[in-house]
Amino acid sequence: MSCSERDLGTRRPGDAGAIRAGMAQAKPPSAGIEIEYVEPARAYLRPIYERLKSRKVLEQLKEFLSPLILPVTLHIRTLQCDDTNAYWAGRAEGLKLCYEYIDWIERLAPAETTPEGFTPEDAIAGEFVEVTLHEMGHAVFDLFNVPIFGREEDAADEIAGFIMLQFGQEVALRTISGTAYAYQQQAKQRKLSRSSFSDVHGTDEQRFYNYLCLGYGAQPATFQRFVDSNLLPATRAANCAREYKQIARAFDKTVMPHVDQAQMAEVRKMVILRPDDGINKRVDVKQ
Amino acid sequence: MQRILIAVAFAVAAAASTGATATAQDLQNSLIDIAYGEPSNAAYRPIYERLRQRRVLEELREFLAPLRLPRRVQVKTEQCGKESSPYAPGGPVVICYEYVHALEKFAEKIPADARTARGVSREDAVVGAFVQVVLNQMAHAVFDILEVPVWGREEDAADKLAGFLMLQFGTENARKLLNGAAFFFEASDRTWTGSDFADVRGTDAQRFYNYLCVAYGGDAKGFRDFVQDDSSNRRPGQAGAVRTDLLPQYRASGCRSEYNELQYAFDQTIMPSVDRALLDKVLARTDWLRAGDGR
Repeated sequence: MSCSERDLGTRRPGDAGAIRAGMAQAKPPSAGIEIEYVEPARAYLRPIYERLKSRKVLEQLKEFLSPLILPVTLHIRTLQCDDTNAYWAGRAEGLKLCYEYIDWIERLAPAETTPEGFTPEDAIAGEFVEVTLHEMGHAVFDLFNVPIFGREEDAADEIAGFIMLQFGQEVALRTISGTAYAYQQQAKQRKLSRSSFSDVHGTDEQRFYNYLCLGYGAQPATFQRFVDSNLLPATRAANCAREYKQIARAFDKTVMPHVDQAQMAEVRKMVILRPDDGINKRVDVKQ
Repeated sequence: MQRILIAVAFAVAAAASTGATATAQDLQNSLIDIAYGEPSNAAYRPIYERLRQRRVLEELREFLAPLRLPRRVQVKTEQCGKESSPYAPGGPVVICYEYVHALEKFAEKIPADARTARGVSREDAVVGAFVQVVLNQMAHAVFDILEVPVWGREEDAADKLAGFLMLQFGTENARKLLNGAAFFFEASDRTWTGSDFADVRGTDAQRFYNYLCVAYGGDAKGFRDFVQDDSSNRRPGQAGAVRTDLLPQYRASGCRSEYNELQYAFDQTIMPSVDRALLDKVLARTDWLRAGDGR
């Protein structure tokens, strides 16, 4: 049985061999990634479409994801959804990133650096990376039949945060901070109700703390400022190294067998964020 | 009066257990050490005595007989000085008398011989919440000792594993346990604000819905009554009466898939360390819960 044939239909109870042994040895070729910027019909989304294209966001994402040994071709599209969303739409449809969501991220960003030190550019670039990696997390769980014991929405946040933390101090700080800002803002804007707790997602407050905790767990020195300012309470901070280690172990056991190591070594040299990412939010495209 | 009832219950339990002795002898796990710590606070002495007489830890060890552990783990009950003593890598697993005391207090919110709207009796509330904390704590130890890859927050994973196990012993037992466990989180719910949300655990309300969702996801027929009916398929806060002690439809619709994911994780990561023949014996035993438990 090859990796590519492992899907829901071929699972057998107790069949842990694939995970235990790892499947890196088999190394079937990856089915590859196809990307597309779908033109939006609505005029207000056009600058976002143009900006993503000129920044070559999807080309870069494709390169970033190239180490994954994919069982089926992964389609990634940016498009107008008539909904403020981003989602993993399954193996056939792939990953969909809506222009409306990016528009929303831009509107959520602060006009200037906040008292906590969250910058407008990190708020935009960081939250864009977060939503993309979160949805890719669902994709990875689905495509590689990853066992998820906890809640999948939290798991998708964990894998997103884990990946943000693998590219040095600056990328870690910018993406985690930007993400934390986005959840902090949403927490302020949304009133908690009973449905906040019956939802499959954690609350915005919980997701804010989870991301900061992962950052602090992985790179305590880089994220010490959030503990000093009590944005991340000391009681939680004490547990973060352990939480990060657990996620790193889960990644090693369940995702790493589907990663081409040589290709990953190349990707690790990529420049993920540019200094001006998230800065020229609405004015850089001449229509 | 309550003491007499307990005494009667234990007499009945003792008589009933003699019939299961042969099975119990087969079910052992030499790598699990158990201990009942004597409480210094006299208020916890009845709990200590009751747990010992009911042989709770001995039975837990029998229940865990199929689990092939690569190293020893200790499970103990003790006075902790606080309600819970979270599992730390290496162990031990600790059940605090303070927690048992608290769950019994919550159960007393249900009048004796009455049931809540969802059908929870006071006994169910005690037994369900007690089994919940024991299985949740054991789950952390199992994740640690078997080096299980845990995606999704570990506390939720431990709750889901506990709920999954509660479902494996027939609808009647599952209802008693899952409904009782859910009641505890319903009764202990409070308003969370600010840095409360930094807790590694979910809110009581989240854990409450998670347990209902495991039940409904694993046995939709048996737990159909855990879900709001179509006419109330609206989010709380919208117009119309909503029963908050039931799963809203928007959550219920995904519970089957959540359960499949849980079953798959169990099969992939824990089943390889389970002795199937012993598991069959554990599943065949019908006296894990007994009349009088929780009284």
